[in-house]
Amino acid sequence: MALYQSREAGHGGMFDALILIGLLSFVTALSLLFFADQSLRLDEAQSLWQTSRSPGAILSTVAADVHVPLHHLLLHFWRLLFGEGVEVARALSLILYLFNIPALYLLGRLAYSRSVGIFAATLFAISPFMNWYANEIRMYTLFALLATLNQYFFMRVFKLKDTLAWTPYVFTAILGVFTHYFFFLNLAAQGAFYALYRHLFPNGSRTHLIGTAALIFALFTPWVLYTLLLGEAVYQQPALSSPTTVDFFNTLAEFIFGFQGAQLNTVIVSLWPIALIVAFLALRKNVSLSNESAYFLLILLFSLGTAFVFSVLVRPVFLSRYLIFTIPALYLLLSALLSVYPRPLSRIAKEVTVALMLIALAASALRGASVEEEYRAASAYLAQHAQAHDVIILSPPFTLYPVEYYYRGLAPITTLPQWDRYVAGPIPSFSAETLEEDVAALTESYERVWIVLSFDQGYEEDLRLYFEENYHRIERLDFPSDITILLYRLRYDTQNARAAAM
Amino acid sequence: MIRMDEQQYARTAFLATRSDKVLFALSAAAAVFYFFLLLLYFPIGNRTLFMLLVIGQSFHLWQLLTFIHTVWDTEHEPVAGYVDLSVDVFITVTGEPRSIIEETVRAALAMEYPHTRVYILNDGYVAGKDNWRESVEVARELGAECITRTKKGGAKAGNINNALRQTNAPLIAIFDADHVPHPDFLRKCVRYFADPAMAFVQTPQFYKNAQDSYVSKSAWEQQELFFGPICKGKNRLNAATMCGTNMLVRRAALEEVGGMAEESIAEDFVTGLFLHERSWKSYYLPEVLAEGLAPHDLGSYYKQQFRWARGALDIIFRYNPLFRRGLSWTQKMQYLASASFYFTGLIVAVYASLPLLFFYFGLVPLEIAGMLLASVLLPYLFLTLYTIQLSSNFSYTFNALAFSMAAFNVHIAAIFAAALRRTSAFLVTPKEREGGSAFGYVVPQMLYVALAAAGLIIALEREGLSASVVNNAAWAVMYVVIFATFIRAALPQSSARRLPSLNLSPQIKRVADQARR
Repeated sequence: MALYQSREAGHGGMFDALILIGLLSFVTALSLLFFADQSLRLDEAQSLWQTSRSPGAILSTVAADVHVPLHHLLLHFWRLLFGEGVEVARALSLILYLFNIPALYLLGRLAYSRSVGIFAATLFAISPFMNWYANEIRMYTLFALLATLNQYFFMRVFKLKDTLAWTPYVFTAILGVFTHYFFFLNLAAQGAFYALYRHLFPNGSRTHLIGTAALIFALFTPWVLYTLLLGEAVYQQPALSSPTTVDFFNTLAEFIFGFQGAQLNTVIVSLWPIALIVAFLALRKNVSLSNESAYFLLILLFSLGTAFVFSVLVRPVFLSRYLIFTIPALYLLLSALLSVYPRPLSRIAKEVTVALMLIALAASALRGASVEEEYRAASAYLAQHAQAHDVIILSPPFTLYPVEYYYRGLAPITTLPQWDRYVAGPIPSFSAETLEEDVAALTESYERVWIVLSFDQGYEEDLRLYFEENYHRIERLDFPSDITILLYRLRYDTQNARAAAM
Repeated sequence: MIRMDEQQYARTAFLATRSDKVLFALSAAAAVFYFFLLLLYFPIGNRTLFMLLVIGQSFHLWQLLTFIHTVWDTEHEPVAGYVDLSVDVFITVTGEPRSIIEETVRAALAMEYPHTRVYILNDGYVAGKDNWRESVEVARELGAECITRTKKGGAKAGNINNALRQTNAPLIAIFDADHVPHPDFLRKCVRYFADPAMAFVQTPQFYKNAQDSYVSKSAWEQQELFFGPICKGKNRLNAATMCGTNMLVRRAALEEVGGMAEESIAEDFVTGLFLHERSWKSYYLPEVLAEGLAPHDLGSYYKQQFRWARGALDIIFRYNPLFRRGLSWTQKMQYLASASFYFTGLIVAVYASLPLLFFYFGLVPLEIAGMLLASVLLPYLFLTLYTIQLSSNFSYTFNALAFSMAAFNVHIAAIFAAALRRTSAFLVTPKEREGGSAFGYVVPQMLYVALAAAGLIIALEREGLSASVVNNAAWAVMYVVIFATFIRAALPQSSARRLPSLNLSPQIKRVADQARR
């Protein structure tokens, strides 16, 4: 017996369809009620700016960034078709997520059983992590969807010996690698699985896999060459620190419980011995690790492990969102595991899992609106209070994207260090030596300066201290999350200043 | 009701062991890696607790490595050939219900082998059982012979030795009163005695009533690991465990070691050791050729486990194989590994107490980030679990694990009895349900639950919902879940309300009806 027990209990396809419709409705409602109205976050603003350009410019911009272009191009045309609003752009992510729910059901049904498929789809629909990215203008739901579809077709080849599935497999693999570089981990895990279980694959599988690899190589190489030619991606890598085991477990916790506050997250990851109980309870007679479970386990552990080791040894790239494609495998494994339990215990375990995830989702939804990057509110405040004789300085420079999107005020916006997005090359680095000179150049004709600090890149404190020591601070405001607005008077020798002083 | 094909499956599934040397190597490597990190790298908290943790982990490492060594290759069969030796069949009886004895005697008489004489070794008289005469009657009615001891001593071993002196066949088959041999038992076992050095052939101690109650089911599931990969693996090392029933022994070998060892409560285990010491060979025949009764309530289980633990620990405290000449190193390791299993209870008690010590006193053995510990410990534990699962052909269950761990009080009692060389009576595992509440047997487990709950409140009061409190709470919950499995066994409904209902003769069914009334 495999790592699951088939308990179809007489439910028909209609029953499953109704549940799936319910899940899709739930996700849509949740998005409309809680997530849709959130402020644009930094990465989203960057996506909007990038995709507002021509396709050719998008390619060069993305090539200069750390990503691949499929989602950007898709979003570009999506916005052309349906409009420019934040909600429209977010709707694309949401729709891709909605497609992923039945796709995961199909994968679960194929790999295990209908009940496992339904439960995995349920977890996926109530996942705080997935719901978060379903409402963000980024490539992650496309990434997850393509991974699910790709795994579905791979599973069809493996389990049903359906050689016709090779075509959509190759197609999704190509789309996948142009959606996110980490899709290669998915393919590598599949390659490892093939190496271990090749005797169970239909004849000709090796040729198909080698052909797929060759095709991807042929199609992807020009992109790599183009990226290298531009030579800028290296400057755009996210500033990540080398991951620790805490990050590893945090990632798994985030996959199940989403982004929680530091204390709650500590509680969640500290509960790791519970994983032992979960495993112990699955020790049942004649229940072994099925080939399908071995596959999903490989997808999960190989991908996480490789990303972790690479991050420790070579370059930090370990981010939970980059590994989002492993979530379907995680949920399928969890569903299969809980299905192994004796029936009453299985029901209780599933109900507890759903309840905990729902609580985490509720916390995430309620917290999200108030805690995440409130560039909208900050920008609105600036628009209302900054005058024409003021200047707004954003630091670090890339926070220009969200502020610029929302800000409709009189004062001009600039960045420190100064940065021109349209000029190729890295964002200029901060220099304490030239700070005085830089500030003078930016502020020489203005009376007041608004400093907007967020996403500390290591020099926020230097900047703040410089202004504190040299100028008179008039005001300080804090916005979620860690956005600080400081207002300083630059001089008293202007007419306005004199009037204000009187 | 279990279907017959399921019963047949139960007889064979646990014997279909598997071996995956890559997995075994990975599992061993993960365990060794964790151990060395623990020993050399992890920052030490409380020194005493750290030492206890190291001792516990040394024990686990020893258990895992010897287990892997045992199950590395489980497919070994000695040369068999035609043998024409007569057999005396001994059925040891100590006041068991008549019907049970009848069932076994009938089956013994029905064995397909020409030269056999069946003896009931009746210890009912010396044991003061009211029904001791029933054995005499059964023997007379069914055409067997009855040897009734009148002089006490040596418990079951003494009973067998008494019969040895009064019989003369070169081979002796031994069955407990409730272990019913299959007709082909002798036909399949005798042929291995073609090798003149073969001392005994042991077959599994299969429980036919395994599905009759929660206790019997769990007891059997616990046994499957032993009678599956472990016993099979011991064949390769000529270290088969003598289990005292369902076995065929060469008289000459037994006589050479002075008969069954009367001075030990686990006469079979010790006798096996003596035989191996004198270079005799042994073989565990992995086929169910006799079927017995599992303990059907917690009291019976407790007594059985205590007897086995006490006897096995005698090997360490009285007959330590390390210091016995004649045994190969692998045999020494095998005996030590089997005997030391019963230290598990002590280690479980130590480990389970760690969360409590944190709750009440804030003491921890390691001052280490929980995630770092998890990243090393979880792979090691999961690989260990999967190694056990795979080698047992996925017959190892949560109940088996929980019973092995939760019976810590039985093991500890046996450890003290063995270490202090206290005399322990040979208590035959009861074949009928005992009266009264079984909750007395699970007081330590219930106490643990209460202490954990109270301790958690104290810890929360002391330092709030800190990572340490949560982590220790999770460990405590794990032990509570495991102990709850054992506590559940004390519930009346967990014991057999009837005696075996599968594949049983009308006689046994009658006894079951009587017991129910």
